[in-house]
Amino acid sequence: MAHVARWRWLYLLLLPGVVYFALFRYGPMYGAVIAFKDYLPFLGVTGSPWVGTAHFEAFFASPDFPRLLGNTLILALLSLLIAFPLTVLVALLLNELRLNLLKRTVQTLIYIPHFLSWTVVASLTYLLFALEIGPLFQALNGLLGTDIDFLSDPAWFRPIIVLQDIWKNTGWGTIIFLAALASVDQEQYEAAILDGAGRFQRVWHITLPSIMPTVVVMLVLQMGQVLNTGFEQIYLMTNALNRQVADVFDTYVYFMGITQGSYSYSTAVGLFKAVVGVVLIFGANWVARRFKQTGIF
Amino acid sequence: MTDTRRPLRIAVVSATTAAMLALAGCSSGAPVADDGRLSMMVPYLSTTSPSGDNAIHTALEEIAGVELDITWVPNSSYADKTNITLAGDDVPQVMIVQGKDPGFVKNAEAGAFWNLTEHLADYPNLTTTMPEVQEAASINGEVYGVFRARDVMRAAVIIRKDWLEALGLPLPQTTDDLYEIAKAFSERDPDGNGVDDTYGLIIPKWPGGIGSNSPYDVIETWHGAGNRWTERGGELVPSFTTEQWLDGVDYAKRLVDEGLVNADYATLDSADWNQPFLNGDGGIIIDVHSRAGSIAALFKQADPEHFGRYVDVTGNLTGPGGELLAHPTAGYSGFLAIPKASVPTEEALHRVLEVLDALNSDEAWPIVSSGLEGVTYELDGDFAVPIEDAPQDLLDAVGSYAQLGTNVTGRPGFLPKPQSEAEQELYDKRRSIEASDLEAAVYDPAAGFVSATYAAQGAQLDTIIADARIQYIAGQIDRDGLLAAIERWRSSGGDRVIDEINALADDVD
Repeated sequence: MAHVARWRWLYLLLLPGVVYFALFRYGPMYGAVIAFKDYLPFLGVTGSPWVGTAHFEAFFASPDFPRLLGNTLILALLSLLIAFPLTVLVALLLNELRLNLLKRTVQTLIYIPHFLSWTVVASLTYLLFALEIGPLFQALNGLLGTDIDFLSDPAWFRPIIVLQDIWKNTGWGTIIFLAALASVDQEQYEAAILDGAGRFQRVWHITLPSIMPTVVVMLVLQMGQVLNTGFEQIYLMTNALNRQVADVFDTYVYFMGITQGSYSYSTAVGLFKAVVGVVLIFGANWVARRFKQTGIF
Repeated sequence: MTDTRRPLRIAVVSATTAAMLALAGCSSGAPVADDGRLSMMVPYLSTTSPSGDNAIHTALEEIAGVELDITWVPNSSYADKTNITLAGDDVPQVMIVQGKDPGFVKNAEAGAFWNLTEHLADYPNLTTTMPEVQEAASINGEVYGVFRARDVMRAAVIIRKDWLEALGLPLPQTTDDLYEIAKAFSERDPDGNGVDDTYGLIIPKWPGGIGSNSPYDVIETWHGAGNRWTERGGELVPSFTTEQWLDGVDYAKRLVDEGLVNADYATLDSADWNQPFLNGDGGIIIDVHSRAGSIAALFKQADPEHFGRYVDVTGNLTGPGGELLAHPTAGYSGFLAIPKASVPTEEALHRVLEVLDALNSDEAWPIVSSGLEGVTYELDGDFAVPIEDAPQDLLDAVGSYAQLGTNVTGRPGFLPKPQSEAEQELYDKRRSIEASDLEAAVYDPAAGFVSATYAAQGAQLDTIIADARIQYIAGQIDRDGLLAAIERWRSSGGDRVIDEINALADDVD
């Protein structure tokens, strides 16, 4: 208690955060019990009958499960393998720009898409790829000599999703890496130049190792988000012809829970997704530590 | 670990526990006190919801004798909002439920809504003159709401009149005629501009699944597949298990394969459905009669002199079997249900039903269906003529309050008066077509039945068929793939649905 008294102002500072997490993050977790019940609003959470793991069994046994898992993982991997390294790359490129005005201008320009909502991004995509009349529809098909409807062709669903993701989020994602880059000791560069290191050698031997801890932390955090494939984006780009590759856990939970009123079943699906997310975070953290990098805990 | 962290952990745990208890405590809804108010949740289809104290609202409150506390919800998100409201604390006393979707059925069967089967006969304006529609709107014979009556026969084929005339073609009678017309519209330059820039049928991305009155569903009924369910060998079966359903899908596929349908039929927003028709890209729409009227009105804005030239309409088409099989609607559009959470006692139920009875009285019905006479419309015979200089928000509100209309006694409303000869002609045509099509209507024999399996997983099951159908039409899967999807429907629970529906049908007989 003496400690509390001594550090009371720091504890006071902490309080709003604790209250927030308790009320809005931990509190609602109570509702997750309905995943093990047959929840009907009329009977309430406590009054609804227990059904054990029936909803989980139904989900794992349903033909939807392998499809959803596959779609979710593929999209997550694409984002991890393409979008994430691209963010680091763009940050490095920006860092190499010596003309400050140019650097600031480019930064601002690539941040802007982050502030557009997915609805706007999806509308833009629909306009650009509109059948017969969209400028990108015409340009790409003209170039390839094909007649592809990019918006409904299942083969093009994932490329479009990844491209949208890159366009919207790459610029914003560079911020944290640029901050890390700013703290790299400039003397190292000077020493390297004296030793005759070229530009690429400097990037490879100084810049990259310096920001590696940040990259690893971001990667571990990203792993926890892997299954959060971005509900709005995917929901807006789905139609009957690409649904087979477009359905992911998030859209499925929405469809089953909100639209169809299967509250318990969709809670079970959401809970499963959350458990996988936790496992992935711990797994990535463990791997990071094996490679002698700092994890997040 | 340093000492400083221990009190923190205790603080987190106790705060969390407190929050949990607080949440658990407020999960049961408090009944709304009986204070001369009635709360309702109602969808609206216009761009803005009516303001709380407009003249229509006040007039209805006067007739009902209570204060009406209406929560207006945009139609596009109404289904979501229904499920969220049911799970929340603040349940209104009357909810418009738009259909027998699984969420509603499960709640109703658990007792969340009053069973009105025995009650409605006590209220003259709620005693239906159309018991077959009430039966169709019921859950296995149990009535959980006052249904909202709708025209039974609405299906129509809307065609560019000027294109037909340019090519010297008559209105279609059969599905073969329709194919020929679609082909001619695509290949014979109906707009005479010398460019190959037209096609036949316009189909949008359909928001509903199978059996949701989409153009595909209508075509399948014409081909003899029945209407959602049909009888084969003394058994009720879903229409997509029949040969005729495959014929209907093949017909649609042929139109698509030959380029007689808009290429973006899988993605065209249904809100933009009229656009290709107005622009002169496509020339045929299979939908409902009222769309012909709204398209004519749009042409009128663009070309007030000759707008009558552009739109023609006909009803259901005779399929390859040679018999006219018309596609009717269910005859109702959802119902007004009364949750027990907010109306806890039978006395309270009685008071709510009295209000609903008053809202469907002869006095209230004209206001609900048409607005205020002398303020938003004038009567001209049986027709309502809108008063042009009435406040726009009040005119918009008319359509929103019409959502409250139940009209289970089947009174005719005042239809908007056709404002020109051309519109009058369309209207007269519609009336005669509807009357003759009604005699050939193919009803859903399983409309009143809800199977337990379907309530639990009907949504997933229907999606299997709806997606496979469009994938087959698009050429993503072949016929074997389509048949495999139907097989998957059966093995994923569909066979149980068939058994349960037939058991329910046997109980009735």
